[in-house]
Amino acid sequence: MRRILHDLKSNPLAIAGFAVLFLWIFLALAGPSLMNFTYTEMDTQNQIAPPGTGGHLLGTDALGRDLLARIVTGSRSILTVALFTSFFSTAAGIIIGFSAGYFGGLVDKIFLRILDVLMSIPALVLAMVILGVLGDSTIMSLTLMISIAYIPATARVARGTLLTHKGREYVDAARIMGENNFSIMFRQILPNTLGPIIVEATARFAYSIMMVASLGFLGVGLQPPTPDWGMMVIENKQIISVAPWSVLYPALAIASLVIAISLISDFFSKVLIHES
Amino acid sequence: MNHNIILDVQGLSVNYQTYYGTVSALRDVTFKLKEKQSLGIIGESGSGKSTLAFSIMNYLASNGSTDGNILYQGENILEKSEREMVGLRGNKIAMVYQNPYSSLNPSLTIGKQLDEVTIFHRNLSKKDARKESVAILKDLYLGDAEGLVKRFPHQISGGMQQRICIAMALLCRPDLMILDEPTTALDVTTEAVILDLINDLKKRYQMSMIYISHDMGVVNKVSDNIAVMYRGEVVEYGDKKSMFHKPEHPYTRALINCIPRSGIVKEEYRLNTIPGYVRKRSIDEGGCPFLDRCGKRVENCESRYGLREIAEDHFTACDRAFAKDVADDSLIPKKVDVIEKTEDGEALNIVNLYKTFNSRGKKVRAVDGLNFSLKKNNVLGIVGESGCGKSTLGYTVTGLLKPSKGKIYFDGTDISMTWKRRSPEVLKEIQLIFQNPGRSLNPSFTIEQIIGRPMKRLLGIKSKTERRERIIEILKQVDLGKEYLKRKATQLSGGEMQRVAVARAFVLSPGLIVCDEPTSALDVSVQSSVLNLLTDLQQRSGASYIFISHDLNVVNYISDYIMVMYLGRIVEFGKRDEVTSPPYHPYTEALLSAVPDVDPALTKGAVRLEGAPPNPTKKIKGCPFAGRCHKKIGEICENVTPEPVGFGEIHSIACHLYSAD
Amino acid sequence: MFFIRRFIVRLGSMVATLAVMSFLIFFLVELMPGDVAQMVLGQNSTPEGLASLRESMGLNDPFLVRYWRWFSGLLQGDLGESLYMRGVAINSILWRKVGHSLVLAITALLFYVPLSIFFGVVAGVRAGKLSDQIISFFGLATMALPEFVSGVLFITLFSVKLKILPITSVIPIGESLWGNLNILILPALSITIVMFGYVSRMQRSSMIQVMDSDYVRAATLKGLPRRYVIFRHALKNALLPTITIIGMNMGWLFGGLIVVETLFGFPGLGSLTMSAIKTRDVPLIEACVLFITFIFVVSTLITDTLYGVLNPRVRLAKGVD
Repeated sequence: MRRILHDLKSNPLAIAGFAVLFLWIFLALAGPSLMNFTYTEMDTQNQIAPPGTGGHLLGTDALGRDLLARIVTGSRSILTVALFTSFFSTAAGIIIGFSAGYFGGLVDKIFLRILDVLMSIPALVLAMVILGVLGDSTIMSLTLMISIAYIPATARVARGTLLTHKGREYVDAARIMGENNFSIMFRQILPNTLGPIIVEATARFAYSIMMVASLGFLGVGLQPPTPDWGMMVIENKQIISVAPWSVLYPALAIASLVIAISLISDFFSKVLIHES
Repeated sequence: MNHNIILDVQGLSVNYQTYYGTVSALRDVTFKLKEKQSLGIIGESGSGKSTLAFSIMNYLASNGSTDGNILYQGENILEKSEREMVGLRGNKIAMVYQNPYSSLNPSLTIGKQLDEVTIFHRNLSKKDARKESVAILKDLYLGDAEGLVKRFPHQISGGMQQRICIAMALLCRPDLMILDEPTTALDVTTEAVILDLINDLKKRYQMSMIYISHDMGVVNKVSDNIAVMYRGEVVEYGDKKSMFHKPEHPYTRALINCIPRSGIVKEEYRLNTIPGYVRKRSIDEGGCPFLDRCGKRVENCESRYGLREIAEDHFTACDRAFAKDVADDSLIPKKVDVIEKTEDGEALNIVNLYKTFNSRGKKVRAVDGLNFSLKKNNVLGIVGESGCGKSTLGYTVTGLLKPSKGKIYFDGTDISMTWKRRSPEVLKEIQLIFQNPGRSLNPSFTIEQIIGRPMKRLLGIKSKTERRERIIEILKQVDLGKEYLKRKATQLSGGEMQRVAVARAFVLSPGLIVCDEPTSALDVSVQSSVLNLLTDLQQRSGASYIFISHDLNVVNYISDYIMVMYLGRIVEFGKRDEVTSPPYHPYTEALLSAVPDVDPALTKGAVRLEGAPPNPTKKIKGCPFAGRCHKKIGEICENVTPEPVGFGEIHSIACHLYSAD
Repeated sequence: MFFIRRFIVRLGSMVATLAVMSFLIFFLVELMPGDVAQMVLGQNSTPEGLASLRESMGLNDPFLVRYWRWFSGLLQGDLGESLYMRGVAINSILWRKVGHSLVLAITALLFYVPLSIFFGVVAGVRAGKLSDQIISFFGLATMALPEFVSGVLFITLFSVKLKILPITSVIPIGESLWGNLNILILPALSITIVMFGYVSRMQRSSMIQVMDSDYVRAATLKGLPRRYVIFRHALKNALLPTITIIGMNMGWLFGGLIVVETLFGFPGLGSLTMSAIKTRDVPLIEACVLFITFIFVVSTLITDTLYGVLNPRVRLAKGVD
């Protein structure tokens, strides 16, 4: 822990990453109550208002809705979905990947075959198809679906980290000293794989944000009136030539959040994996 | 300017900038190397011997800084630019490394990797370079050189790869060749062949040599002079005979007597040990580097030290050496006799045991029909080259692997199954101590958890306080205090970790312990204390050991019985002294004569094995050793499997040499 | 011999993957809510009309019968008819769009493969230096941008501010892609940005690993010039993992195409898939998704083979390690 803090001090990019992430979390929690406008309010006097006019710090869209309010409110759903997604997909990945890697043999072969099949379809396409099956997206369905789409990837990573430890002699020692499979997997091995798993979970967090945004952009994400960053980009793309800010700001919001999390993930991978 | 001196190292210091501060890797190293002279450098891990080698190549990591001079033919290497070094490296000064496989580029042919040396250094055309490469391979007695140059590194054996690396170093007829543990990754029989080759080349090519190794026996075979390094300093330097017979520095003395060697056995001697372990040296730490582990220290050791000449061409850094009051720190003959052995019954009985693995649809016979038994309260040493099946046997006995065929009985109980189907009572009785303690102890557990878990699972001790009391007691037996309870394995040195592993095994009071190369990953000074500990605990507890090692000297020291394995079969089995003296199985004879001796005055027979053991996927009709045997009698060796022939009560040899009589 | 056997095994597993995938896709898409017959007939449908249409389309048959009908059609190269555009054979729509997407994908590949390998190698060789830090940060940042975000940034810059490239990438009716090649630039750039980050970072880390290897050290200490060591000893080995990464990410590339084509209105496989999902055009969704899978599986096979050809340890492997 002390080592991590020490390394953080000499890594300004990671500090910036944490700062931006915490800023977004703060805005998501407290932001909407600080805004002059609500995210649905249509200011008919100020449609397509450039940033700074009529009290709209970031301008308005074609309907006169305040962009800042919409972006800040939009951060709630995207952060919620991404956070739960990275948690669920990592947890499920650990259970599935660990079991497959640990028991090996036929179980592992079948697992790898299934993985090959599932990974042959891009996660985004898989998510779109499942979303089509589920109908209108809610935070619940979105979380569930992205988690499922990511499980093949997380399970593969979990399996890989387990395999690097399965060959270690301490696992053999535990076996012949009366430990059962469950406690070998989760009591003996899991604590030693936390580094790569934390890195994977943070990377998944970033990927989930990208995924939620992309799905919103494609119109299969959260349904209106919930503001969604990706959806804002495609909605406002029609007015991009007159109001480029209406597209630019939600895009920058996505970029800032994903880059911030990626910097954190990069930092973790440097500290937790490469230097241990 | 003395033209006789090829390399003159003057006050060389190397420091590394790390997270933990500045670490001193070399300090004030000074020595001279004459033309055609060979210098052996001995040191344990952390002694700076490899750093010294790379400094001479002017090739250090970016966090390293140097001080002092390395004069090669009068020119300071450390002041040369990368561009100037290109002309020296591989041309005038060449190097051979520990791991030949990883030192060869996997995606270029051997020929290509040889050719480029002469293309760059001697401006040869591709065609001439290839001629030159083939010629040098032939010069190193490698048959089919033309075929060899077209192959890739992964297609040839480790011993062959190392010969390629040596050939590569010789291509430009260097003045100086540096060999950094070139045989450490190889089997002892291959090592012997390579060492012979090096000796032969040294004479033929008239070059100077620096040979780096942790193994005193190996260094003795190839060098004229020896330098002993400890924590970045040369502590003693001199002619190899006087170094062995009249060592002056306390570290050299202690080191020589740590090493098990022929004629040293557990009944007669305790090995010398050096307390503590090698610590990293910070830049601020002055004084004698050996101070904290030295039994002979006095007050002025902290200030007074430095290399001085005590006899002609014999230097030592210990100030005490002049006082002549340093008592000889030699092997301690055992005073108290061994507790009388109770040998009632067999601890282990193995009947017709086979273990085959599937590798891409082919069967690999790792253990190929073993029959033997081990009496209670005895140590059985198993020796053999890598791939002979000794570890597979150990893993099958402990239940990590399931026998393919045959039976294993422990104390009369059938245990021919894996750990999954063994009862806690059986699991408790058979313990395993692994080669690498860093990997056999869970890095995220405390020592208390590591030793406590099996007590809870196998002995059913539920009370934490009761467990703790017994853990403290067992830690004391392995010379560790109770301050270790809360530490994690990653915070311990290699020797301490292996002690914890020993404690974890003994806390269950097992009847049989399989020791799989338990000291191979340790430095010799630590190895001796672990060997002493294992011997003491064995004699006190009456447990039996299966002691697996590639090191014949270690096996010879600790074992009551020795079993020699080759390609999954037993070629010789018997009491220790029966196996290590004639009549021999030809393979045993070859192994014994391959072991380099610590004492330079001793010379051994020269039975040398060429080639490698045959492919274990092929079914062998006759004797597995027939293809490499120097005493092969004829077709019978290749066509008929030799049955073990008995000599006396237990001793048996599986060879037609004896059955034919 | 071993190498050829390996190829045949991979080929078999590719066919198996596709077969399983076709079943999975069919299953998922058929589960989609909504009545196909209702969708075809629209508002003015009668119960009788619906029933007879269901009968004629075979919608009342058991699931497996319908799957087999579709699958056997696939084997004969018949992808069925679109629902939304009634009576139009999917074959007549799909292939032209696939062609457009391939052109776009190849354009992007031509951009990002050399760029990312070059910068990845430079960063890897100069690891820790300023140039590496800049390349690495740039790679991290671009990898983190979804395609439409970078696309929007490009549109704002090149189309709105500089007005040198079109905002959308639509092909005017009656014209072909070849007459409008400038519409490829922005979509290809958007894909390049994401893939550049990913591939260059991979290239960098494999380069660092190789530069740190014993054999590169040995080559340096043989007295070979640094440039030669990098190009002849390090690069070939460091490229192997990158080739795998590029191949494995062809699927990702095609996922990205959906987003990019939607953003720019580019008439390719991605926007076709998107509109099929929006209009619930079941047979068309099935055909598009299956084709995307096909691209992925084929590119995996090609990479795998290429990897084997370039790596003597695979090419010349013996039966046993």
